[in-house]
Amino acid sequence: MSGLGPLTVRELKKWYRNPVFFITGLLQPFFWIALFGSAFDITKFFPDASDLVLGGAPNYITYIVGGVLTITGLFTAMFAGTNIIFDRRLGPMGRFLSSPIRRSSIVLSKILSATLRILPQALILIVAALLIPNGLKFIHGFTVLDGLVIVAAIVMISFIFSSIFSVIAIRMTNMNSIFGIVNLVNLPLLFVSYAMFAPGMMASWLSDIAKYNPVSWSAEAMRTVIINGTTMTASQWTQVGQWLGGLAILAVALILLTAFLAEKEIRD
Amino acid sequence: MATIIKTEHLSKVYLGKIKAVSDLNISIEEGEIYGLLGPNGAGKTTTINMLTTRISPTSGTAIVAGYDINKQSLEVRKSIGVVPQDLTTDEDLTGRENLLMVSQFYDVPRATADERITHLLKLVDMEDAADRYVRGYSGGMRKRLELIVGLVNDPKILFLDEPTLGLDVQTRTQMWNYVRDIQKKLDVTIILTSHYLEEIDALSDRVSIIDHGKVLVTGSPSELKSSLQGDIVTITLKNQKEADTMKTMNGAIEIKDAGPNTVRIKVANSDKSLPDIINFIGKKKLSTIKLTVQKPSLDEVFLEYTGKDIRQEEPGDARKMMMNLRRVRK
Repeated sequence: MSGLGPLTVRELKKWYRNPVFFITGLLQPFFWIALFGSAFDITKFFPDASDLVLGGAPNYITYIVGGVLTITGLFTAMFAGTNIIFDRRLGPMGRFLSSPIRRSSIVLSKILSATLRILPQALILIVAALLIPNGLKFIHGFTVLDGLVIVAAIVMISFIFSSIFSVIAIRMTNMNSIFGIVNLVNLPLLFVSYAMFAPGMMASWLSDIAKYNPVSWSAEAMRTVIINGTTMTASQWTQVGQWLGGLAILAVALILLTAFLAEKEIRD
Repeated sequence: MATIIKTEHLSKVYLGKIKAVSDLNISIEEGEIYGLLGPNGAGKTTTINMLTTRISPTSGTAIVAGYDINKQSLEVRKSIGVVPQDLTTDEDLTGRENLLMVSQFYDVPRATADERITHLLKLVDMEDAADRYVRGYSGGMRKRLELIVGLVNDPKILFLDEPTLGLDVQTRTQMWNYVRDIQKKLDVTIILTSHYLEEIDALSDRVSIIDHGKVLVTGSPSELKSSLQGDIVTITLKNQKEADTMKTMNGAIEIKDAGPNTVRIKVANSDKSLPDIINFIGKKKLSTIKLTVQKPSLDEVFLEYTGKDIRQEEPGDARKMMMNLRRVRK
């Protein structure tokens, strides 16, 4: 009677049956890895300082793949709230509210479906990065555990940002407001983070702020396991654990807050 | 027959001062089609929203299907079906998928749901359209789908809030047949709101006229009409002299001229008075050219109790109404 299952299935049906929505979502990772990988490739300006720039990665693509995975998750998650407003404007919300389901399910189904949409995007992105010339290289190998770190980070990034944007949408009736907010924060979240550049490459004030951006935590955690693979040291694992722990605490707190607010506040 | 809904001093006040519903006391019997008739803003939808636990009352309560709407809202929701005023189906799913999704909200087992959905689709002649996307449906089809979405959990009570709003006359009449069918075949109690008098007249066993959140009168449509005491018999005779003779008849409430050679006779019940009138005509050897009998419609009842003509009502929430019409007509 929670309603989470049928509501999530509904969201996914609306996704894979809409060819434009479906295909653009899957194409996006290709563009991003190709464009970001070459447009922001700063190694060509600093041929001798590649250690500072790349932190041990063999090339820039390998360095930013964790960042681009995170950003893919972020940008998809930020639109999780829009369907709440659509449901309110087009009517289905009325049906949900008069059914004996948990009201939090209405919002949690958006978060869950956004996360499920991100996973194939992430997979395609990794495959694309491996395929392009001078692309992703696992120079120190790759373990199942590394894979789990990547999945965990991206899932939590999705939970965090889809929760935030769903909470915003709980009482909102105008689509343009949420688009405005998304546009306001998407690039700052991207550039005030370590997703694209190493801390040493950034202005110090920017780097100081970026330290607290969950986008940085996710990007750095993925990057550490991608670059170091089987040669991960104990202290590197501790660092990765801290980043993931921070993401997990934030994700759980935000989901609980979202569920609480949805139960109380969601209206037609 | 048992009482299935009983409201006790049910009230809803918005913003501390706007009394949408005030001290409503109605009781609805099992198996009847109960109409709530009132102009826009009378409190019909607010009443339905409280009874279906979509909003909570400011004070008072109601027992719906044996459960208290304040204390057992989940139980209430499980035993009722709701067809809200606005369209609620998802355009990106097929009709059947919409029905199935809602059945899952009620934890109806899959096999039962499939069987029930097939039955319901047949009831409203939608088997052929069931597997098409809702966005391709006509306005009438969408409304029919809405009607059965409210029935997938096999409710004891079905709430229909303005079920034919925005539909053309022909489609509306068709909807009435479906509503009657549903009541008969599924043995469900139906609460219907409408501001179409014909609709209430055609469908409901009993009706409450409400305005400003209060019940003004309750009764069957025919009781309400006869309470007005005024069937009108209009007779046109050969000449004015005969018309004057006609006016000397006894037993009428009122007799007056109504045009050349024509008299208008108001009687309590035309079925009983008509033989008297005809006898009088025969006895006085009058020659009638035309004789019409007009029973009062619910329009007059409405006018009598609310002091306004329902047809002059402007929609209360014009924006919402237009949105709805656009969607229905698409």
